[in-house]
Amino acid sequence: MANRGGGRGRGRGQLTFNMEAVGIGKGDALPPPTLQPSPLFPPLEFRPVPLPSGEEGEYVLALKQELRGAMRQLPYFIRPAIPKKGQLASCWEHLNSAQLREAQKRTHWGDRIYSYVERYSDKYQTSGPIDSAIDWNPDWRRLPRELKIRVRKLQKERTTILLPKRPPKATEDKEETIQKLETLEKKEEEVTSEEEEEKEEEEEKEEEEEEEYDEEEHEEETDYIMSYFDNGEDFGGDSDDNMDEAIY
Amino acid sequence: MTQAEIKLCSLMLQEHFGEIVEKIGVHLIRTGSQPLRVIVHDTGTSLDQVKKALCVLIQHNLVIYQVHKRGVVEYEAHCSRVLRMLRYPRYIYTTKALYGDTGELIVEELLLNGKMTMSAVVKKVADRLTETVEDGKTMDYAEVSNTFMQLADTRFVQRCPMVHAPENSDTQPPPPAPNLVINEKDMYLVPKLSLIGKGKRRRSSDEDAAGEPAAKRPKHPTDNKEPIPDDGIYWQANLDRFHQHFRDQTIVSAVANRMDQTSSEIVRAMLRMSEVTTSSDAPFTQPLSSNEIFRSLPVGYNISKQVLDQYLTLLADDPLEFVGKSGDSGGGMYVINFCKALASLATATLESVIQERFGSRCARIFRLVLQKKHLEQKQVEDFAMIPAKEAKDMLYKMLSENFISLQEIPKTPDHAPSRTFYLYTVNVLSAARMLLHRCYKSVTNLIERRQFETKENKRLLEKSQRVEAIIASVQATGAEEAQLQEIEEMITAPERQQLETLKRNVNKLDASEIQVDETIFLLESYIESTMKRQ
Repeated sequence: MANRGGGRGRGRGQLTFNMEAVGIGKGDALPPPTLQPSPLFPPLEFRPVPLPSGEEGEYVLALKQELRGAMRQLPYFIRPAIPKKGQLASCWEHLNSAQLREAQKRTHWGDRIYSYVERYSDKYQTSGPIDSAIDWNPDWRRLPRELKIRVRKLQKERTTILLPKRPPKATEDKEETIQKLETLEKKEEEVTSEEEEEKEEEEEKEEEEEEEYDEEEHEEETDYIMSYFDNGEDFGGDSDDNMDEAIY
Repeated sequence: MTQAEIKLCSLMLQEHFGEIVEKIGVHLIRTGSQPLRVIVHDTGTSLDQVKKALCVLIQHNLVIYQVHKRGVVEYEAHCSRVLRMLRYPRYIYTTKALYGDTGELIVEELLLNGKMTMSAVVKKVADRLTETVEDGKTMDYAEVSNTFMQLADTRFVQRCPMVHAPENSDTQPPPPAPNLVINEKDMYLVPKLSLIGKGKRRRSSDEDAAGEPAAKRPKHPTDNKEPIPDDGIYWQANLDRFHQHFRDQTIVSAVANRMDQTSSEIVRAMLRMSEVTTSSDAPFTQPLSSNEIFRSLPVGYNISKQVLDQYLTLLADDPLEFVGKSGDSGGGMYVINFCKALASLATATLESVIQERFGSRCARIFRLVLQKKHLEQKQVEDFAMIPAKEAKDMLYKMLSENFISLQEIPKTPDHAPSRTFYLYTVNVLSAARMLLHRCYKSVTNLIERRQFETKENKRLLEKSQRVEAIIASVQATGAEEAQLQEIEEMITAPERQQLETLKRNVNKLDASEIQVDETIFLLESYIESTMKRQ
């Protein structure tokens, strides 16, 4: 305590070790002190060695990309669930999404704000929510009993060529839809597999406020621009160009 | 588990299995062994999703379960096994080189599905191979089975532990989780199956309309009624054996680089002879006599016994110590020293990294300190013949990156700094660990950058895929040049340019990942063998 003030005057700049031993002689110019964190992309002094090319390298590269694509197609790839948005009851249309959430919380029948109706546009919305079924059939004898869940009836194997949606699947949808009228979960729809080729990464989760469809392009083989399928739930945040519902 | 490893595991799981599995997997890696309820509570995902994720992870041998007291089942993840997913292409390519296309597809199916029964693998591989051959010919199951048996004989595939049925299962309630055991000698035993059949070609789109109602009925009524003969016997890829193979390959090529082709052939013959007699983590092979080696050299090589002896002596005297002489009986007993070999390879990797990152003078200093073990500042300057200022600069650069460390040797018991020696030294094990950590970080950065690039150009990629699909379908229904031309022009020239750039970048990033993985393998093998020795 007595040396607190004194330490500043005397002995300033003394180090605990002998500088000459590590090679810094007296009077040598030391590099300037660093006042900021090192740059994020420091400049490279030497160019990196080129990657090995050749038949083996190319084959392994192609194999890697192919594997990446193949794994996304397997039933082991589980897509995250996105709650299904139903048709908004007309009395709530004037609210924006934040107010809607509030209303949902406050009323005791909050989930009835969205009544579930299956719509044509849902077929072309790319989200992959799931119900509580697994798509492949593991050997349940090898797994702990607590992990057992329902195995979804196997859909027919898809080929990579464009196929129209098959009728049996649609009726299956309707049945399950009726069962799940009260819940907000959406049954998984398998979109045609062109969407899921090697280079494409997992689609971004579509949030309510950020749905955007590029109007210039043909998406999902429909004849309509995607804003045709706009649900009107983004009312309040969007422009009014394509609104079909009456505005109160 | 370091943060870098956990991040890399998270990226691997996300790319291959999706976000839900990634969440559960990373939680398990971070927190260790947990029961189901705790996982559900801590991650905030619903019970069903957690169950699904755990099923997927257990199927792929990434998570194991254990029954604890009071019937609680706990799940534990293996971080190192998740990191192996980076190496899948290399495993598949190696099998292709050794066993052809059939072997390649077998290992690919096993890796993609985690574990499968032999009959399922054979059927699937035969179907896939039938797709690739010309119309009219099919792939016979017997051929695929033969390749499978070869793979099992050389231990590239192994049996998974089997369900052990307790004897008194009638009186007690069934356990919450099955007990899985495997007998050592059963691990590579192939069940006697008579798989008769040919691969099926997948129906083309023309026949699809007719094929659909047929597909609704079971295609082969016999399949559902007959029990599968090898039910319950699952196979998985034996990654340790692949690692052993990679290690041998690296040693042989190192010898070939250092000496010549003949010596590498001799070493290869020695390794082949000790494949089955030595376990994968032994520090050196069983001693092999020079006569034995002479007899087992490949047929095309006619070198005389004396020349072989000379080569062996040269190899044994080499400072790298890949081959050691352990006795004189039988014309000289020689062993291959895996520990030393891996240490030399790891050191060579370190040297090469320093050379590419800091320059060849730094590399000279590094090699000098490695050789002399401990050097003072002044001695470094003298031995390396580099001016003092530059030598100091380089030493400090390497010191700051932790390739070189300082060792203090006090002269007096009070460790006074003015009376202490400070010596520069290289601790190969810790430098290797540091470099391994950097490799994990590099791969993480590469993967993230690749995902970023793909995400940026997502719209363009989707467009090009759609155009390709349109072209394919239009071509299938017969089209003229003009139509195709028109469709091709839907993608403008600058967009094409952008696509080209994207493709080139993604390829480069992927190739870099593969390259870094080779370094990771080397460093991991070295660290593992050194830790075992201690």
